Amino acid sequence: MKITVGALSEKTLILAIMLIASGGTMPMQNHPALEYQIKAVFLYNFTQFVEWPDDAFATADSPLVIGILGSDPFGQYLDNTIVGEAGNGHPLVVERYEEVEDIAACHILFINIADKRKLQNVLSDLEGRNILTISDVQHFARSGGILQFFEERNKIRLRINLEAAKSADLNISSKLLSLAEVTIIQK
Amino acid sequence: MKIKDFKNTRARFLFPAFAIGLLILPYLATGQTRNGLSPAELKKLSLEELFSLEVTSVSKRPEKLIKAPSAIQVITGDDIHRSAATNVPDALRLTPNLQVAQLNSYAWIISARGFNALFANKLLVMIDGRAVYTPLFAGVFWDAQNVLMEDIEQIEVISGPGATLWGANAVNGVINIKSKSAESTQGLYVSGTAGTFLKNSLAARYGGKLGDNIHYRVYAQHFNRNHTSIPDSIDVADEWGMTQGGFRLDWEPSERDLVTIQGDLYGGAEKNDTVNTTLDGQNVIARWQHTFSQESGMILKAYFDRTWRRDIPSTISNELQTYDIDFQHNFTLGQSHNMLWGLGYRLMRDKTLNSTIFAGFIPQERNLQLFSGFVQDEITLTDDLTFTLGTKVLHNDYTGFEWQPSGRLAWRPGAWQTVWAAVSRAVRTPSRIDADYYIPAYDVPPDQPSVAGGPNFESEKVIAYEAGYRAQPFSALSLSLAIFYNKYNDLYSVEALPGTLTYQVQNGSEGRTWGLELSGTYQLAAWWRLRGGYTYFRKDIGPKPGHIFDTSIFGNDAHNIALFQSIADLPENFELDVTLRFVDELPQPYVPAYFAFDARLAWEYKDLELAVVGQNLFERWHSEWQGERGPEIPRSVYGKIVWRYQK
Repeated sequence: MKITVGALSEKTLILAIMLIASGGTMPMQNHPALEYQIKAVFLYNFTQFVEWPDDAFATADSPLVIGILGSDPFGQYLDNTIVGEAGNGHPLVVERYEEVEDIAACHILFINIADKRKLQNVLSDLEGRNILTISDVQHFARSGGILQFFEERNKIRLRINLEAAKSADLNISSKLLSLAEVTIIQK
Repeated sequence: MKIKDFKNTRARFLFPAFAIGLLILPYLATGQTRNGLSPAELKKLSLEELFSLEVTSVSKRPEKLIKAPSAIQVITGDDIHRSAATNVPDALRLTPNLQVAQLNSYAWIISARGFNALFANKLLVMIDGRAVYTPLFAGVFWDAQNVLMEDIEQIEVISGPGATLWGANAVNGVINIKSKSAESTQGLYVSGTAGTFLKNSLAARYGGKLGDNIHYRVYAQHFNRNHTSIPDSIDVADEWGMTQGGFRLDWEPSERDLVTIQGDLYGGAEKNDTVNTTLDGQNVIARWQHTFSQESGMILKAYFDRTWRRDIPSTISNELQTYDIDFQHNFTLGQSHNMLWGLGYRLMRDKTLNSTIFAGFIPQERNLQLFSGFVQDEITLTDDLTFTLGTKVLHNDYTGFEWQPSGRLAWRPGAWQTVWAAVSRAVRTPSRIDADYYIPAYDVPPDQPSVAGGPNFESEKVIAYEAGYRAQPFSALSLSLAIFYNKYNDLYSVEALPGTLTYQVQNGSEGRTWGLELSGTYQLAAWWRLRGGYTYFRKDIGPKPGHIFDTSIFGNDAHNIALFQSIADLPENFELDVTLRFVDELPQPYVPAYFAFDARLAWEYKDLELAVVGQNLFERWHSEWQGERGPEIPRSVYGKIVWRYQK
């Protein structure tokens, strides 16, 4: 009697876990979490509230490139967000990069690299370029990144490193500044 | 007996129904719009509106975990918040690689990979870097380990030896309880709870700022818990209550430095048939983290911890004062070596007071010193292959020098999966109950039965072979599988000295254990998340050739443990969270297999949270340790009101 209970449950449990695990391959689950849906739309919004210098674009109709470095948390959602849209008078496109060396023309770069050392290397490689760097890793703004998403009481907030924005020659609208937390880096 | 059979039958039918429900629901869910919002909908919102949307963060953790080449499982603060857990042992039930058994209202027995016994002694437990096991029996008084649940950042549970990095008790696992930084606990938190088993609790915390780079928080909490019962017989006298307060201060004097000072003090009483057990404690820890460069950093940490317990059931009182200082440093060597090394010193002043002469510790007071050092090299062999080699060496008063080396190989083809394998050696150094425990506590002639310490007891040893696979095939799903085979030698035994009835603690047992641990999280939809897992465990432990000892003492271990946790956001700010656990029968003392079902229905709106929570809803009573004649844990409910205020 006791043994039957145990044996049956074990089989049922393994079966259930396997079924749930295999359920993962079902295509309809490939939405990013709400957090990243919102962040994708933020990326789009930044193309409206940040100004790039003219020489950041090769020609008047070259695209404004939103890049993702590291694993991609947005999936197709980001592409769907920017399709047919323009920012700074340029059409928007999404590019995904494996390595920092792959980055050619790029205006917004979402960096999804948790490793501190790698992140530092990426940021120093990008120094002096007109790229709006964004990440949600801790201490990003403090490490020299421009925009950092963080979470406060289940809401997304934004931290801005103005020094870094200035040295990338980007003009962030006062509207966006008023809603973000501005970090002052002590020299 | 009849009632028990009925309950089991019911549980048997409920479980498959529940599992099938979980499988079908995602299909139903796709028809709903709460699978997040479309880009068009979100783009209509202003910046202000975007910033005001609520999100729950789930995606970060698995990405980091995916690279961990060990059987680590993590319980986040949010997983705890969205469960029925009211204290640390409850929260530890949210990971299936631990066996958690509640003995009575105030005692828990917790272990990983077997050896779950009254004096479970193969698990290292730390709260914010402070080791909380007692050298009395190398185990944990769980009733004294209270934290403000709201401020837990996460609990990391590493099953398998963590001895190379962590130390001498990490034979079968390490539990790291980490609290949130002061910066992320700003503002006011107040909560009140009233219920049947958790009779009442009050908690408050305030977090503030001193200038630009100092954040702090202070907290206090108080609770009273109800008694357990022996069903159809008597109520057990084990009601208890505790009051605790504490603080944390984080100071960032520069970009490269973080100084944390935190402390707690607590006191409480536990009812008994005669007088109350009383306990109290105070601790303070200071930690300085400094970054030299991108490749190098160090941590210097020191703490003082005092615990006191006048334990009535064991007739022994104990005061322990621990002084600990640790240093660790990491740096890179060339392109491919990531070095980590450290030094530590701990002094434990342990004072026992035997309140009877029938049993006790001799000598009553002991100062125990522990010197330790470790070095570890993480070698990058190729782009996706790393090998980690390290050892801990420590010196303790009982057995002198001990070596605890380990080697660990990790292969990460693609960013989304890790295959790993490891071999480690770990020791469980003697504790006072092994070396200094006497029954009775006076001289007895050898022709009369007695237990006379363990003057020759050596460390228990394990060689652990482990392998595992972690994967995050797509962002919503992460999985971990670990298998292990452990070979133990010189395990504890209690045997009579030849030709006498004088029993001493010796190293007369040996054995092996093996098993499998599966865990995963699955974000079914933006509003719905599942966690869960399954652990299979077997053991074969016996006396060494030529020794006679009943080795059933080595743990009342379940062969199968499973967990499902479902966390769902419903419309109108409602939350419905359920947890289903299965623990297989325990052999000795016999405890029937049981399913435990917890549910939480909450409404969170702005600063306010209201919750109704039920624990162990399937059965009116169930035993987790002693079976029919012992205390059983009741079905219980509580209501909770929370107010979080931030300027």
